Amino acid sequence: MMDRRLIRETSFGLTNKLWQISWTYVVLLCALAGVGYVALFSAAGGSPEPYASRHVLRFAFGLGLMLSIALVDIRFIARLSWLLYVLGIGLLVLVLRMGHVGKGAQRWLELGSLQLQPSELMKIFLILALAAWFHRASWERIGNPLFLIPPALAVLLPVGLILKEPNLGTAVITACIGATVFIAAGVRWWKFALLAGLVGFAAPIAYTHLHDYQRARIDTFLNPETDPLGAGYNIIQSKIALGSGGMWGKGFLQGTQGHLNFLPEKQTDFIFTMLAEEFGLVGSLALLGLLCLIVLGGMAIALRCRHQYGRLVAVGIATNFFLYVFVNIAMVMGVIPVGGVPLPLVSHGGSAMITTMVGFGILMSVHVHRDVEFGDDQDER
Amino acid sequence: MSAPPPKGPPGGAPEDRPPPAAPPPGAPAPRFGAPHDASVPRMETVRVTAPDLARRAALEKTRSRLVITAFCFALLFLAIAGKLALATIITPLTPHLPALASRPSEVPPAEPASDQQPLAPPAPPGHEQRAMITDRNGEILAISLPTAGLYADPREMIDPSDSAHKLKLALPRLDEAAVRERLSSEKQFVYLARQITPREQLAINQLGIPGVYFQPTARRRYPQGRAAAQVLGGVDVDGHGIAGVERFFDQRLREDPEPLRLSLDLRIQQVVHEELTRAIEDFNGIGGCGLVMDVRTGEVLAMVSLPDYDANEAGQATQEQRFNRAVTGMYEPGSTFKLQTVSMALDSGAVNIWNGFDASHPISIGRFTISDFEGKKRFLYVPEIIAYSSNIGAAHMAVAAGTDRQREWMAKMGMLSRIGIELPEVGSPLAPPASNWKEIATMTIAFGHGIAVSPLHVVVGTAAVANGGVRFRPTILAAEPDAKPREGTRVMQQTTSDTVRKLMRLVVTDGFGKNAEVPGYYVGGKTGTAEKSTRHGYNHNSRVDAFTSVFPMNAPRYAVYLMVDEPKANASSHGYATAGWVVAPSVGKVIARIGPMLGLLPDTEHAEEIHQALYIPLQPGKPAGSHPAPVAAAVARPDLTHPGSPPTGHLPAWPPQQEAAPRPSQPHDAAQPHDPRHEAQTAMPVAALADR
Repeated sequence: MMDRRLIRETSFGLTNKLWQISWTYVVLLCALAGVGYVALFSAAGGSPEPYASRHVLRFAFGLGLMLSIALVDIRFIARLSWLLYVLGIGLLVLVLRMGHVGKGAQRWLELGSLQLQPSELMKIFLILALAAWFHRASWERIGNPLFLIPPALAVLLPVGLILKEPNLGTAVITACIGATVFIAAGVRWWKFALLAGLVGFAAPIAYTHLHDYQRARIDTFLNPETDPLGAGYNIIQSKIALGSGGMWGKGFLQGTQGHLNFLPEKQTDFIFTMLAEEFGLVGSLALLGLLCLIVLGGMAIALRCRHQYGRLVAVGIATNFFLYVFVNIAMVMGVIPVGGVPLPLVSHGGSAMITTMVGFGILMSVHVHRDVEFGDDQDER
Repeated sequence: MSAPPPKGPPGGAPEDRPPPAAPPPGAPAPRFGAPHDASVPRMETVRVTAPDLARRAALEKTRSRLVITAFCFALLFLAIAGKLALATIITPLTPHLPALASRPSEVPPAEPASDQQPLAPPAPPGHEQRAMITDRNGEILAISLPTAGLYADPREMIDPSDSAHKLKLALPRLDEAAVRERLSSEKQFVYLARQITPREQLAINQLGIPGVYFQPTARRRYPQGRAAAQVLGGVDVDGHGIAGVERFFDQRLREDPEPLRLSLDLRIQQVVHEELTRAIEDFNGIGGCGLVMDVRTGEVLAMVSLPDYDANEAGQATQEQRFNRAVTGMYEPGSTFKLQTVSMALDSGAVNIWNGFDASHPISIGRFTISDFEGKKRFLYVPEIIAYSSNIGAAHMAVAAGTDRQREWMAKMGMLSRIGIELPEVGSPLAPPASNWKEIATMTIAFGHGIAVSPLHVVVGTAAVANGGVRFRPTILAAEPDAKPREGTRVMQQTTSDTVRKLMRLVVTDGFGKNAEVPGYYVGGKTGTAEKSTRHGYNHNSRVDAFTSVFPMNAPRYAVYLMVDEPKANASSHGYATAGWVVAPSVGKVIARIGPMLGLLPDTEHAEEIHQALYIPLQPGKPAGSHPAPVAAAVARPDLTHPGSPPTGHLPAWPPQQEAAPRPSQPHDAAQPHDPRHEAQTAMPVAALADR
């Protein structure tokens, strides 16, 4: 008969769980938030107000949240996966509805935070749901195209809703996260090749359906110098700032592009540029190294995990973080279109910080519960 | 695909699950609660079943996929690092992009050569230079600077490269290569540069290059930048006025080279701008407006609307910045309108100054309720109604005077039509049509709701009730020094105005306007805190705070009005966002600063006498230092005494000496009683006074 000792037992005390938390990882996150403090201190012209002090408070709150979530049994989270997914979809629909009501002058204010938050949460919920789906999949079953249809729909539904907000950047990131979880789950390569072909075919058609401002972004990206004082302004100023930083940077609080307000949104989207101007290539490479460590640390947690669910969740969350970082930095360097994606734990902004920390909380829960017995789906219920 | 759930799971998984690949019959439930063991059991030591094997295969597969993914991420990080190195040290972008560099020179591409007959060189504008606009003291507000455009006819060129070189010497900002290219072209007309100064023009002329010509142009400049930007307006590229004074007097400015002298006083404009900006910042308002007007002539000395913009960069100004709140903005005037109500009620004789009105209960009409802010909840006499700004009392007063009288009054005061100042942007007030001006409208209009007028309307109305009862059409033009005084329209009796002045003073000495007091200037005024109406009724948290005032109250000279749109309470206002806290202090500061500039010195010597002369008690019982005296315009008591009217044995009481004073019909040339000082002081040199 079955010997279930293959998978480790579950109920260990809170203290033990606390010891199981990867404190190295927590230190890495604190270091990143510390970089954020320095950057925001500089963005405010050398003052903790108004950004840096709030950044610290938010991070402290987020850290508490993360550690609390880390102690929650991953199987409990697994059981909630689809429920959370439905909740996330509900929130997205709600935002779409409310967005249509509040079309006044305050549209940005009202929608700005609300719009962002459900889509950010949705990314995490989608990861959970996909992991729950693939958790009980065998290699053979993954080979069955019919088995892939429900999760594919589960990805497309939120992507569609986010596109409708409209938030092109987040929609693309969400789709990429979904794709990564599919890859990690073992979906055959040729299917991705097919998908990539389809996307390549559909992109020109989709382009014609984009909003004007979205099209402007893509056009500007393709050739920013055409309109140096218009939409391409941000990217050019950002590039100038990077160039003026050079190898060692201009020094803390000495960045002229940033402090003379050439650099737009320096406390949010373009914070990396500001750091790069002040600390140069060396400083930004160090930051890049730190970010890389956090991403690869997440992948290591995934590898170390002994159940498929945790593994996929960890991959998803690490991917989410990676995409944030990648899109943000690539954006400020003009490699991809400007998309309004902040640099997690560094940029100013509360809702993004909290969702990021929720994600890391779940990641840490995976780590703490890496060896738990997950129970076979056939006999668990 | 929708697979049926394998078994009826208790607790119900929300997802639909695929059919089990290998259903193990009778598999045991997982064991929970086993003690935590630090070591992981090794694979070899356990027995492995088919489903476990399948899962392990999947896990193994995942492992390889994970490694690949992680590898990809690392690669992408490397790519970013590489790109970063490119952007920072290998090929850094400098601010001097070719695309950027070409931008400032806005020389348009030369017109394509046509095969037709030679193009005529652009005809120089035949008309005279557009006239200057100055403030009342001759300070330049708008001026046209002569400039020239430099162009050439390449066919007349002898040596293009030599010419280009010489031109470059005279005009260093030229791009020699580009000029050479243009001069060598086959065209008949090429632009070389714009906005050539006379000095540069001279230098180029001295080069003596054939085929180089100038095209006279002009550039409208506003040397004061932001000052009165909305009043001045602007001109388009052809020099035609498109807004403000530039548009209203477009014809005049183009045809008559004499400077157009506005009534504005730049110094006062600046003071109002400063104090208003500070008030808006302090209370976090979204905008505001400030006005100073001479109550004896209707000349507007300052007109500020915030947010504003630099008049030289009107193109970049937003709609919001270009909006002139003072004349275009229509706001519910709120309690500032109670001055109109009380003037109307007293002047018509329908209400006596010592009438009392029941303000103990809110008035309910239909679905409306009229209540008081910090109400006294008792009978109020007319002075109390104004001092404590009672909506209920004002409503009663208006009803006592009657709807028709109120509408007539509003029409007479110009509250129902455009204000008539020389600006194209003046807006129309919003008032109920006569057919719909019912009792409820009468009541709400009594305290400035249900009607919307521009701030300038309020100022003109305030000036009229305070200056002795003459309404002047406001003007933005300065009176000629030797012109005869402007004519106003008498709208009320002098005696009523005298009473209203005392009431306005009472607001500052005893009412909500205490913060506007400036020693020696005897400020009188009225606060107004109007809640902004939205489609769903009034918003209690977004207000328009205004204070309309006149000083000095003993011999009115200037009306000062400030308004802050949507102020938020702060500590200095003790949590209030009402006009008495938000704008009244700023009005006081403005008066303290502009008084000396206008030639009025604070008079503290005669404080006691002036105070006595302007004194009116809140209630008839209080010793007023005066005895009941019959009013000149004593009228029959209104029949509509309100139930429970307080004893009205006291007749209107104000110092009889006022009555004795000579009362000229035109107030601007009046030697006002108790005003022995102003005539002399006006003559004092302004420079000596302005520096306070």
